[in-house]
Amino acid sequence: MRALAATFAVAVAVAFAGNAQATKAPRLTVFAAASLTNVFPQIDPHERYSFGGSNMLTAQIEQGLPADVFASANTGLPWQLHRKGLVTRPVVFTSNRLVVVIAHGNPLHLAGVPTLEKPGLRIVMAAAGVPVGDYTRKVLARMGLSDLVDKAVSQETDVREVLSKVVLGEADAGFVYATDAKTVAGKVSLLGIPESAQPQVLYAAAAVKSSRHLQAAKAWVKQLLSKRAQKKLRAAGFLRIPR
Amino acid sequence: MFAAAAVALGFLLLPIVAIFARVSPGSLVSQLSRPVVTDALVISLKTSAIAQALVLLLGTPAAYLLATRRFRGRSVLVVLVELPLVLPPAVAGIGLIATFGRFGLLGGTLNSLGIEIGLTQTAVVLAVAYVSSPLYVRQAIAAFEAVDPNLVAASRTLGAGRVRTFFRVVLPLARRGLAAGEALSFARGLGEFGATIMFAGSLEGVTQTLPVAIYQQFNTDFTTALAMSALLVIVSGALLVALRLTLQWQPSRPTSRFLFAPSR
Repeated sequence: MRALAATFAVAVAVAFAGNAQATKAPRLTVFAAASLTNVFPQIDPHERYSFGGSNMLTAQIEQGLPADVFASANTGLPWQLHRKGLVTRPVVFTSNRLVVVIAHGNPLHLAGVPTLEKPGLRIVMAAAGVPVGDYTRKVLARMGLSDLVDKAVSQETDVREVLSKVVLGEADAGFVYATDAKTVAGKVSLLGIPESAQPQVLYAAAAVKSSRHLQAAKAWVKQLLSKRAQKKLRAAGFLRIPR
Repeated sequence: MFAAAAVALGFLLLPIVAIFARVSPGSLVSQLSRPVVTDALVISLKTSAIAQALVLLLGTPAAYLLATRRFRGRSVLVVLVELPLVLPPAVAGIGLIATFGRFGLLGGTLNSLGIEIGLTQTAVVLAVAYVSSPLYVRQAIAAFEAVDPNLVAASRTLGAGRVRTFFRVVLPLARRGLAAGEALSFARGLGEFGATIMFAGSLEGVTQTLPVAIYQQFNTDFTTALAMSALLVIVSGALLVALRLTLQWQPSRPTSRFLFAPSR
């Protein structure tokens, strides 16, 4: 019993020592949209990241999970948190567009989004409420293809799950961001979505007000607009903020 | 000592108490009548029922053979049967995709037969059966091993065939262990999440089981997620009580008289 307690005490001490070391330059916990999975660690490998559907991250922040920064694939969710007094004023930092990923080499000879109506196709998309799921519904509505929503064989919780279902061949087509498709270039083929149907995809970030490192968190949000960060975003396929 | 025990018990019980503390009985009832919840409950019960039927049908003979036959590599096989039990569900999900997925080991064969499993209800059944069957098979092996071989031998000498002996002697004697194993397997299958969401995806009314629905509702509507969690706590609790009762239940005396009655 005593040995157990001693071990526990040592473990706690070690854990705190580790923490103390990190507080020199506070290691921030960044909750970020799944589509930022590859690019954020390139911008700053130092922080601790939790990637997921922006709506799940919103729910986690609402339930008090300790995040310092929130970066969402839309502006609505961070604004919703801002109005509740949970995060600072959201800052739009980049933009994106949607594409349809299909099996590499297009073995099913699909020619454009309307051909997804072909019976028997297994289409996946993100669920409503997930930013990319909402954008997908907008695209389909603009193209008069809203019935595809009910044809989907799975409603995923974030964009990377949609992507992996197509990469693994479990689905024939999936609606993702152009930047997600770029991370698996050579493993999938693309169907373009016409400009007229593209929704305005804006990414917004904010510092979480309950953060113990609020100043550092605010600075981190700001650095997303820096030349260096913007260059990395552009290299990953993200777009300039439309004026 | 008492403090440690109190902390341990509090740690185990508080999350369950917290679920019920945050959901009032009124909202529980109104939330539980939402289609997303009823759909998920139906899918969970349906896929669990099919999966458990498969587990019983295929697992029982497998367990009986492993319990009664001695052959080379038997102990290795017994350990391998238990392996899925300790595998993380995410690994099970990857394994199922690597086997039954379109590009999986059996994917080509299945595809040429026109069978697609990934992202269908069949995928849910396979995921549930995969993660839950070892619990049953393992318990069933132990139950069959505990059956006195002299009774089996006696039954055979008295003229009962193998099949008759199995159904009239072995099964009744092993039934408590089998029921306990099945209850555990059912409970584990009902909670299956990781392999399901990877291999079967999530579609309301088709592949969205209760745990998957809880995860998805957590993203949009915490109250509904709480209500569904409360529902699963109740169902799982009921299963646990059933399991306890099965383990305590003594086969009544008259049954044994019937067991040893000369067969005609």
